[in-house]
Amino acid sequence: MQRQSTGYLFVLPALLVLGLLIAYPVAYTGLLSVTDNQGNYVGVENFARILGARATPTAFMNTLWWVFGSIVFQVILGVLAAILLNQNFRGRAIVRSVTLIPWVVPGIVAATTWAWMLHTEFGIINYMLTAPGIIPEPVGWLTNGSTVLPVMIAINIWKMFPFVAIMVLAGLQSIPNDLYEAARIDGASFWEEVWYVMLPQVRPVIVAVTLLLVIWALNHITIIYAITRGGPANRTLITPIQIFRTAFESVQFNQAAALSVMFFAVAIVVVFIYIRTLASNAGEAR
Amino acid sequence: MTKLFKTMALLGCTVSGLALSAGWASAGEVTWWTPNFNEARARELVTKFEAANPGITINLEITTTDGLPQRILTALQSGAAPDVIDVQHGWVNGYAQNNLVLPLDEVLTGREDYIPAALDYVTWEDKLWAIPYRIETHAIIYNKADFVAAGLDPANPPQTWEEFAAAAKAMTKDGKSGFAITGGGEVGNTIFRSLPFIWMAGGGIISEDGTEVLVNSPETVKAVTYYTDFFKNGISPSSTLENDGTANRRLFIAETVSMYQSGQFDVNSIRQENPNIDIGVMTIPHPEGADTAAILGGWSLVVPTDAKNPEEAKTFIGFLGEAENQAVLTDTFPARVSAMEAERFQDPILNVFKEMLPFGRPVPVHPNWVQITQAYFDGIQRILLGDEDVQTAMDGAAEEIEALL
Repeated sequence: MQRQSTGYLFVLPALLVLGLLIAYPVAYTGLLSVTDNQGNYVGVENFARILGARATPTAFMNTLWWVFGSIVFQVILGVLAAILLNQNFRGRAIVRSVTLIPWVVPGIVAATTWAWMLHTEFGIINYMLTAPGIIPEPVGWLTNGSTVLPVMIAINIWKMFPFVAIMVLAGLQSIPNDLYEAARIDGASFWEEVWYVMLPQVRPVIVAVTLLLVIWALNHITIIYAITRGGPANRTLITPIQIFRTAFESVQFNQAAALSVMFFAVAIVVVFIYIRTLASNAGEAR
Repeated sequence: MTKLFKTMALLGCTVSGLALSAGWASAGEVTWWTPNFNEARARELVTKFEAANPGITINLEITTTDGLPQRILTALQSGAAPDVIDVQHGWVNGYAQNNLVLPLDEVLTGREDYIPAALDYVTWEDKLWAIPYRIETHAIIYNKADFVAAGLDPANPPQTWEEFAAAAKAMTKDGKSGFAITGGGEVGNTIFRSLPFIWMAGGGIISEDGTEVLVNSPETVKAVTYYTDFFKNGISPSSTLENDGTANRRLFIAETVSMYQSGQFDVNSIRQENPNIDIGVMTIPHPEGADTAAILGGWSLVVPTDAKNPEEAKTFIGFLGEAENQAVLTDTFPARVSAMEAERFQDPILNVFKEMLPFGRPVPVHPNWVQITQAYFDGIQRILLGDEDVQTAMDGAAEEIEALL
């Protein structure tokens, strides 16, 4: 027992710093969510108000689309890119480096550049599509209610799939050659190799990366905020941006805290379900 | 154990040292936050002031307008505020109500020399909470050549809503848009451009005393219809929903837009970037038989309650409030009538902007104004997207605003 308590003493400084930097803000957010701006206890009033806001359900649905759409394509594209980059071909090192570029570009720079490229009047994307006559007139990518969220998701996919690719590539490279040789002796085609050798071997990597992607998508602000600020008419408003706007534009810290608390709970549940399902699946696979 | 305590003590010292250094200021030192567009002129005035007041040093800190309200609010509430801050008139009331700035009645000289609306803006409970030094309103900037091309007389721009809409329609041809409204960017862009039309029609977003929702009144709906119809009828560019004031200026410079609303600060950049455009300026059109209107914008100087050296700060603000110094510091027009005589305000292109000043009005004061305007702006975007008609969209906004009053 003596030894154990000495151990606790040694980790105390780290725990104190963690407490100050993590536990205190979390607890303070909780406190903010049940008080008014004078610090008086108001129960669930902040929760009721923010849930009653017209934007809240919209933002929630948008968040679901945003997370789901981003993750699916990021993972699929990322894995395909990793398999491609794992092949032997001339100039592979260059292609590998170039693939990483979207991920390395700072989010705000990428977002602003995309906003300009997508502009209806002077954006290069509409110019390239209209000049050779592919489409008859410019598309309002960011002003059309049905294209703006998909466009945001596409930018997010472009930004993050290289990360998936590089992580999966690292996993692929750790697969021993024996497995491929064994598969080839059994007469496996390339796609069978992918399906029966590569994917099962990198499964833990994909699981971990997907979890990270889910968390990042749930926390996301930069791209959407820099391009549309959640507009037009809340078409691209996702919950983290709503929290940001409520707190720092409307200066309603208490309602923003209430929304954060609820969002935190939802995020925890999502992550929990995800880990549980994948952990049990992995058990069956063995 | 000892080592642990030493580490913690060291950590404690570092933290408190950091906290102290943030709030450190020696006597006679005034820290002044001013936005980047003021920098050159502010330095000039600081040099002049320091020469005349050897005991006081001015510590100039340059801010940027993006995210400035949040930054100032944080500084004011943290207790580590500078001594003088440049703020927009509209922000002052909120600071006064929360006791974040000091009253400045004693600092003001020549009260009768000020444009009354500017002082009204920063007055709360009969006390003056800021010294306004810069005022401006929008007018309509137009391309004279496009008037000629459409068979209109650029020397006689349209006056009423009907004339204006007809002129805008006539200029919308060959890929040009007659009149660009805003429907994107920060909320303020569209408030500044659409609220004057609402006022002219006799409506409002909320009543001036902040007790009544006017956003779905027949007058407001009429004005919002007038405003949004420019987009629906194809007169405003198809990119309207992503355009803010800056985007409209770029479209004007690119000669794809013939008219748009803005302040005189746009004139110089248009002249620089496209000297071929013959720029005209007209007052904002009004309904038949009613006056024009505009939002009075501009900047004031405040002294935070937590200022380290409030007395020196007041001396400095008194100096900046002198007519000749206001004439230097302002980017647009000075808040004092006598300062307007300075050489730099005599450019004829500024005449219409001067004419608009008496029609400038302050926006209503309400603690939830930002959210109220957001609800209104969302409604405007729903109309522009074609989701809802004007009445439905404004009814929806009214419902949201009702909950905020």
